[in-house]
Amino acid sequence: MQIFNSKNENTLVLEVRGRLDALTAGKLEKECDTWINQGEKDLLLDLGGVDYISSAGLRTILLIGRKLNTLSGALSFCNLGGMVKEVFSISGFNSMFPVYASLTEALQHN
Amino acid sequence: MLLKKTSLAIKLIIIIVISVSSIFISAFVFNYYSLKKIYRDSARNDARNLSRIVSAQVSATLGGVQKVTATIATIVEKHHYNEAELISFLENAVTYNPEIHGMTIAYEPYAFDPKVAAFAPYVYREQGQIEVSQAPQNYLNWRWYLTPKSGKGAVWGDPYVNTFTNNISSTYAVPFYGDETGKKQFQGVVSANISLEWLEKIVASTAIGQTGYAFMLYKDGYFVTAPKTEFVADYSIFFLSTLLINPNLATLGRDMIQGKEGFVQINDFIYNKKSWVYYAPVANSGFFLGVVIPETELFAGLNHLYWHLVLIALGGLILLVVVISVISRTITKPLRKLARTAAAIAQGNLNVELAEPRGRDEIDSLTRSFREMQEALQEYMANLATTIAAKEKIESELKIARSIQMSFLPKRFPPLAAGEFVEIAALLEPAQEVGGDLYDFFMIDDHHLFFTVGDVSDKGVPAALFMAVTKTLLKGLSEVGLEPAQVFAKVNRELVLENDSLMFVTCFCGILNLETGVFAYSNAGHPPPVLIRPGQEPRWLTLPPGVFLGIDEHSSFRTEQIILQPGDMILAYSDGITEADDLEQRLYSGDRLLATVRNYRGDSAEALMQAVRASVADFARGAPQADDMTILAACLKHLKTSPRDR
Repeated sequence: MQIFNSKNENTLVLEVRGRLDALTAGKLEKECDTWINQGEKDLLLDLGGVDYISSAGLRTILLIGRKLNTLSGALSFCNLGGMVKEVFSISGFNSMFPVYASLTEALQHN
Repeated sequence: MLLKKTSLAIKLIIIIVISVSSIFISAFVFNYYSLKKIYRDSARNDARNLSRIVSAQVSATLGGVQKVTATIATIVEKHHYNEAELISFLENAVTYNPEIHGMTIAYEPYAFDPKVAAFAPYVYREQGQIEVSQAPQNYLNWRWYLTPKSGKGAVWGDPYVNTFTNNISSTYAVPFYGDETGKKQFQGVVSANISLEWLEKIVASTAIGQTGYAFMLYKDGYFVTAPKTEFVADYSIFFLSTLLINPNLATLGRDMIQGKEGFVQINDFIYNKKSWVYYAPVANSGFFLGVVIPETELFAGLNHLYWHLVLIALGGLILLVVVISVISRTITKPLRKLARTAAAIAQGNLNVELAEPRGRDEIDSLTRSFREMQEALQEYMANLATTIAAKEKIESELKIARSIQMSFLPKRFPPLAAGEFVEIAALLEPAQEVGGDLYDFFMIDDHHLFFTVGDVSDKGVPAALFMAVTKTLLKGLSEVGLEPAQVFAKVNRELVLENDSLMFVTCFCGILNLETGVFAYSNAGHPPPVLIRPGQEPRWLTLPPGVFLGIDEHSSFRTEQIILQPGDMILAYSDGITEADDLEQRLYSGDRLLATVRNYRGDSAEALMQAVRASVADFARGAPQADDMTILAACLKHLKTSPRDR
């Protein structure tokens, strides 16, 4: 699982590729913690490259969302596809977090 | 004892002995050759000095004879003496010059007395007595007479063996002239012959050392004196060179008779051994001196000294070997002890005794480190034993927990009348000893059946604890008259309280009215169950949206409804089924689940459940179970018509 970061017009975008399961969720949590420690409070997760997400991944997303919430920041998503889109829909994450169809759309809103 | 030493000692010994030997050998060899040169130079100086002494002595003696003879010649030239006077001169000369053996004044025919053809009074020494005589009549032909006569001046004749005395002798002859007729006219020769015995004595005394000797050559290379008397006057050095097949002797001879001075190394002509020869001309004599020093004697002292040195060095080396052995023993003894201790520890005996060292060197500090390591190991092993005991305790407790958890879950429908109307089968397999999946089914009242499948985030003990809470809440809070969505709302609120660890549960629950077949259900983030209607394709049940339980107390849920006919089946499961993976990390997937269900042609919930389970096992093919697996199948047999049917 790899995470690529970029700054796009003041929005920090984290592009995640690979599986987001019990083995790799910790890496995402650590990465986000690093950014939070550097003062970021708005994270946009581009999950276009994620082919598998388990409940451990969902749990990590919830943790990150909660942390950002307490800092008055926000966690948003874009480029969901396949399994991730399905899981987000079933689990109701769609209503908990802003989900955008594409990166451009996400950046427009930020 | 030396043999039992570790190879460290032997390595040290070999290296040090080789190094030290090399140093010794280089030093000794260099020194040896330097000393040899010094000895040679010293010997050369000695020889040169001796030769100068000999030279002086020989010169003096021969010079003396020359003077006497010349004096008489001068006297006789000046005045014509009578026989008696002449003899008297000769007697004096011979008496007062012991080295002169005999002298004569030999006249040309008729030069002394016109009547006398040959006149040559001869005075000589015989056994201490002075004798007077005449030289043999043929003296006129002799070399000592003819050579001065021929105008060559005063000469020394070649050495010869005097037949009377059997000694080697030489003759000095001086011509004398008269001038009665107005011009210089040869009158005769005064000659003295001397034995060269004294020369032999002088030369013999110049020998250096005990095996050294000296010799003298005359102008053709013939020996005047030599250690072997048979050489004298008979042999030349050139003859010996040929005889002994030693060309260097000829070269030496040539150099000597050319009057050169030098110091060469050749095989000598007496012993045929390597020797050093100093040679120089003897002044004013026509003789050439050679001083021979055999190398063995020249270097005898040096070699002797060196043997001693070598023996001392060897002794030193042996001492060195002993010292190294002792020192390396003080190193290897504790090292071997440490090695033995390490071996004992490796075999499990941690309590081997290792004494506290007294010193401060590297070995002692190694021993100390070793002791520390041993103590650390002992502590570690003790901790490990405690940890293992604790782990075993936990494992046994986990086993107990598992059996407790499993016993929570209903297995078979208790013998209720509802068994006629609906068949339920369920299985749950945790990924670890205990798991986070749950299922439950029970009658809310006499014709409402509640069943649920849930999945706590995570696996293991934390999930299991949360699972127990959730299951209990579901059972406790589902009352008669509540819709599934309302049940979820209540359970959710309870779960959100005190939920610091952010555990959440996905859940599906439904209430089946056994009299009407109405099936009301709600969803909290769970995967959709399969709806199986005989004669139709199995499809996913349409689920209302709903978030996980346990996140937000304000989450809302919705209830959906369908009407089931007898023969219809609902297959609920947890994502441990659809996300079961094989060894290549491919997922079982919902599609495969549908396909498996499609292939099932029976009407038994139990059989369907087993078929799905078998299909998953077959797919996984040995891959380890990643998540808790739950399957619940419910089949409506026939409707309960009225309470009177009870």
